[in-house]
Amino acid sequence: MSENTTKQTQTESAATDSDQPLTTTAGETAERTQSEWTEYDFRGEAKMTVDDLDVYYGDDHALKGVSMEIPEQSVTALIGPSGCGKSTYLRCLNRMNDRVSSARIDGSVELGGQEIYQDGVNLVELRKRVGMVFQSPNPFPKSIRENIAYGPKKHGDLDTGLLARLLNRSDADERDELVERCLRDAALWDEVSDRLDDNALGLSGGQQQRLCIARCLSVDPEVILMDEPASALDPIATAKIEDLIDDLAEEYTVVIVTHNMQQAARISDQTAVFLTGGELVEYGDTDQVFENPHSERVEDYITGKFG
Amino acid sequence: MSSVTDAPAGRVTNALGARLRRVREFVTETESPALAIIAAMTLSLLASLVGFLVVSDLTIVPFVVFLAAAGIGWFRYQEETAYVIALMMTVSTILILGLIIVFIFRESVPVLRYESATVLGVSVPGLRMFIQPNWDAVSPPIRYSMVPMIHGTVMVTLIASAVAAPLGVSAALFISEIAPATVREVVKPGVEILAGIPSIVYGFIGFTVLGPWASDQFQTTGQGSYLFVGIVVGLMALPTVVSVAEDALSSVPESMKSGSLAMGTTDWQTMTSITLPAAFSGVSSAVLLGVGRAIGETMAATVMLRGVPRLTEPLVNVFYGQETLTSIIARNYGEADGLQMDALFVAGVILFVTVLVISVGAQYIEWRMHEKLGGEV
Amino acid sequence: MAGAGQTDTQLVEGNTTETDAVAAVAIGLSAVLFALAVAAMFERVSLTGTLAGVQTVTLLGGLLTALGVAVIAFGAGSRLGYVETDPDPSAGLIAGFGAAVPWVVVGGGVASQTLGLGTAGGAVGALVVGGVAFALTVLPREDLGSTLPLGSLLTLTGLVFLTGVIGPDWVWDLGWAQTASITAEFFIPVATLFSALYGGWASAKSYGGFGARGRHMGAYVLVYLNALSIVAFLFILVAYVVVQGVPGLLTGFELGLGTGPQTTILGVSVTLPVSVPFVMNGVALLNDFQGVLPAIVGTVWLVIGAVVLAVPLGVGAAVFLTEYADRGRFTQVVEVATNGLWSTPSIVFGLFGFAFLIPRFGNGKSLLSGMITLGFMLLPLVVITSREAMLSVPDEYRDASAALGVSKWQTIRSVVLPAALPGVVTGVILGVGRIAGETAPILLTMAGGTFIPGSQTVDVIGSFQFTAAPPFVANPALLEATSALPYQLFALITAGVGLGSSVSDPNAFRWATALVLLVVVLSFYAIGIATRYYFRRRLTHT
Repeated sequence: MSENTTKQTQTESAATDSDQPLTTTAGETAERTQSEWTEYDFRGEAKMTVDDLDVYYGDDHALKGVSMEIPEQSVTALIGPSGCGKSTYLRCLNRMNDRVSSARIDGSVELGGQEIYQDGVNLVELRKRVGMVFQSPNPFPKSIRENIAYGPKKHGDLDTGLLARLLNRSDADERDELVERCLRDAALWDEVSDRLDDNALGLSGGQQQRLCIARCLSVDPEVILMDEPASALDPIATAKIEDLIDDLAEEYTVVIVTHNMQQAARISDQTAVFLTGGELVEYGDTDQVFENPHSERVEDYITGKFG
Repeated sequence: MSSVTDAPAGRVTNALGARLRRVREFVTETESPALAIIAAMTLSLLASLVGFLVVSDLTIVPFVVFLAAAGIGWFRYQEETAYVIALMMTVSTILILGLIIVFIFRESVPVLRYESATVLGVSVPGLRMFIQPNWDAVSPPIRYSMVPMIHGTVMVTLIASAVAAPLGVSAALFISEIAPATVREVVKPGVEILAGIPSIVYGFIGFTVLGPWASDQFQTTGQGSYLFVGIVVGLMALPTVVSVAEDALSSVPESMKSGSLAMGTTDWQTMTSITLPAAFSGVSSAVLLGVGRAIGETMAATVMLRGVPRLTEPLVNVFYGQETLTSIIARNYGEADGLQMDALFVAGVILFVTVLVISVGAQYIEWRMHEKLGGEV
Repeated sequence: MAGAGQTDTQLVEGNTTETDAVAAVAIGLSAVLFALAVAAMFERVSLTGTLAGVQTVTLLGGLLTALGVAVIAFGAGSRLGYVETDPDPSAGLIAGFGAAVPWVVVGGGVASQTLGLGTAGGAVGALVVGGVAFALTVLPREDLGSTLPLGSLLTLTGLVFLTGVIGPDWVWDLGWAQTASITAEFFIPVATLFSALYGGWASAKSYGGFGARGRHMGAYVLVYLNALSIVAFLFILVAYVVVQGVPGLLTGFELGLGTGPQTTILGVSVTLPVSVPFVMNGVALLNDFQGVLPAIVGTVWLVIGAVVLAVPLGVGAAVFLTEYADRGRFTQVVEVATNGLWSTPSIVFGLFGFAFLIPRFGNGKSLLSGMITLGFMLLPLVVITSREAMLSVPDEYRDASAALGVSKWQTIRSVVLPAALPGVVTGVILGVGRIAGETAPILLTMAGGTFIPGSQTVDVIGSFQFTAAPPFVANPALLEATSALPYQLFALITAGVGLGSSVSDPNAFRWATALVLLVVVLSFYAIGIATRYYFRRRLTHT
């Protein structure tokens, strides 16, 4: 217990002092209770801080008192068997669960130190800063170019409408730059640069998913949430997406839900394991979680004894 | 025997060859007593249809034979009998549409001949109904012009569409995208009930309440105005627009809407930039069907209009309502006979063809939408 | 956490400020004006009278001016930086057209009438004024563009009412061959109504702080108002018919043992403990109270006949289309045909029945012709709804049944049809509600006189008889002209003044008929909707 207390103080100082050096907990073997996972230290600052988050769908208690810090500019993987609440958790981070009328959410989620579950939160602004890529690719039935330009246009950052063209203040050049930059960042530019005006629905599944990632980048988010982005794709497309995620982590904070443990091990810096019942059972450095988990349940899950 | 079994169905499909092949397969696979029963059913039903068409008192005889054959078939060879009966029922829906076309066209032929007009030395039947605006069934020259009624129907339909289209699409957006679940549970049945209020009740209220009020407000001579008939008919077409448009809007995949919302757009932006464009064809076919309803609306127009078939002066004078294609039928069928009755059938033909074209057009648009959305997933 | 300070204001917005309160008051004011306009239009508020001690027109004018000034002030305040908002560079083309339309009307009206420039002058004036309004909306930044032209419009309308330029006695004779005038009674409420809508829209945009959120707010106000109006309209319509119809319906109403008419139920003669003469009597010279019993019974038989014809045919066709036929040319033709039948105008069905059925059933209008005509009308609806219900039965059911070696028809009968039953039943009930209120088709095929004596109440079951000559079965009741409620109402309306000789209070009689018709039709709808909820609940709870 004394060791834990020490760790807690360290964490608190980490939250106030960004220069806190990286500390690891590898080698710690004691079975820890859930509340302690928040006290885990990572190399970066906490981009998002989740504290005691509960989600109910009607009578169903989908997430139970989850607390965790998501460090910035890293990849955080959420793994667990289906129905464990990992997707629900992800959708709490940009308040997409507000769309579900039966959902009730208790607890606190902070983005850059600001509570996102409080009165007066601008959902538009929140979702601009916390982007999302969905499980199955969902490009809009528009051209590739329009898919990328959609977000900035709707936020009033780009204007290429009829009126703007008439008044000679069209941002077509900025738009084309943005489209190229986002598509390059999403490693899609080489494949589609010659057909930007084609309907995005004509792309292959993997291309569509990278287009959705490019679309997400277009509004320059701080955090990118990915809900099993490769589950509907073939191995080659999956590999491309995984490489891409690796690159993205240099600039963005990536949180990814996956049911594929190898994938989590390959791409993530830290891993959170949710087990059935909506509990966060273990959260730590990816290598440590996979090689030396604290919890027996997690070990059973990872070694394939259940789930 | 195969060609006999095939007769009604073969007429309908053009793919005679394929059908014949399938019938041959059916014949070879089916036991011969069952085939005999089916043949008896088909023949007797055909005979009763012919008997009915030629107004024979003996129609009942083949029909009883059909019932008997069907009864035996049902107990002995249920599988085959059920198939054949279902097929006959399907064919009958097409048959009814065919009969409607044949009979209303046939009745309108004499007056079309009477109203021939000569253009460039060629006599075109029925043309005079559309090039001069007089309807006079009593004093010579007897003229049955459709122009005033077409004008009336166009006026009413325009006003009705101006009411039903924007309000209907907006209400559909509300029900499908905006309303909280509890509110939706109230508004949706409400719109359905609105569709259920009989047109004669609308007409009655229009006649007793709106009519006198409008004639007072606009200081017109007598009551009956296209403006208010149009508004009432628009309200009656509203539920059609709402329910068809709502179906189209809610068929847009949720993932597309979430994708837009996750980009940080407002709900309204998502609706106007993603949902409405994706459902555009469905929404436009909803508006088209609403227009079709407005064109065909009869009783409210009959009760609220003046019943004098003439053009309003000037043509844009919506404060006077004379007659529409539907109301002239409902108003005059009683005393009409001969050519005048046939002229009413011409009005029916115009209505039927217009609305059928609209219906087929709406279906084509929807079919295109399914093709487009189908290619997406 | 660099940058946290900057993002603070963006992610979390401050609490309600005074400026928000001003915009909210403006929205409230628009709502009040909207309500006043509707009330004035239906003469619930007199334009010549006073309201809260002020002349109505002056009050409307004052409120409109206040609203207009508030809207402009908000926009200007935002442009000058006193109010914190998030406007786009332009209000957009749609807002531009929206603002131009009323100004076109104003420009055209003023140029052609007030200035007397004639039609051409009016057109020029309309174009110029509309164009200016369009430019003023589109060119400046959104906060100014979406408030200034609309605010000015409101202020102008308000001032015109305030100064009495358009007062309660104002009339504009259109000078058309068929005379018509626009009176103040019509113009003032309508102008107020549209001004209130525009004012509400502009204030809602301001309340949302312009930009995407402002437009969201503006649109939501209008969409909510529209939905509310539709529900209110339905409610008022039904309530109005009920209020008008109840006195006629309850004429001679008696409650108590032995008061009602004698009737035979299952061979036992019973005296009903309640007497509602309107629905229990026909019309007869000696009756104390007249009623519409024959029409009610006619409607019931009509509906039964149509259902007996259409439901088996429709369900059979749906079975064939979904279960037997491969998707192809044939099913496509049937689909087009059923949808075509569905949208065919009811009067065309009437004409068809007149041309096809009447010559075949005794050359006169008859109940049977009416039944068949309405059956044809009901058929496409049954096909469409049954098909939808059957298509929504999952294929796994069929596969599971087929895998057990059950034949196709047995699968349909014991798996598909039961699973599709809720959808079919609901569809049929709603369809019946629709045809029960139809007048046009039975007008030409079935309907008899305006007033039917109670003795002529149709008795289908009792009239079957066998004859020696073909067709061997006869049922005179089916071949007689019969009345039904919708037709009865139509006949009562067109009969006009002559009604007084048979019924003491013709107006009450008409309204009561309308009420009975409405009750009959809406109860079908109520049952249909309730059935759907019942089945849906049962589905979700098991």
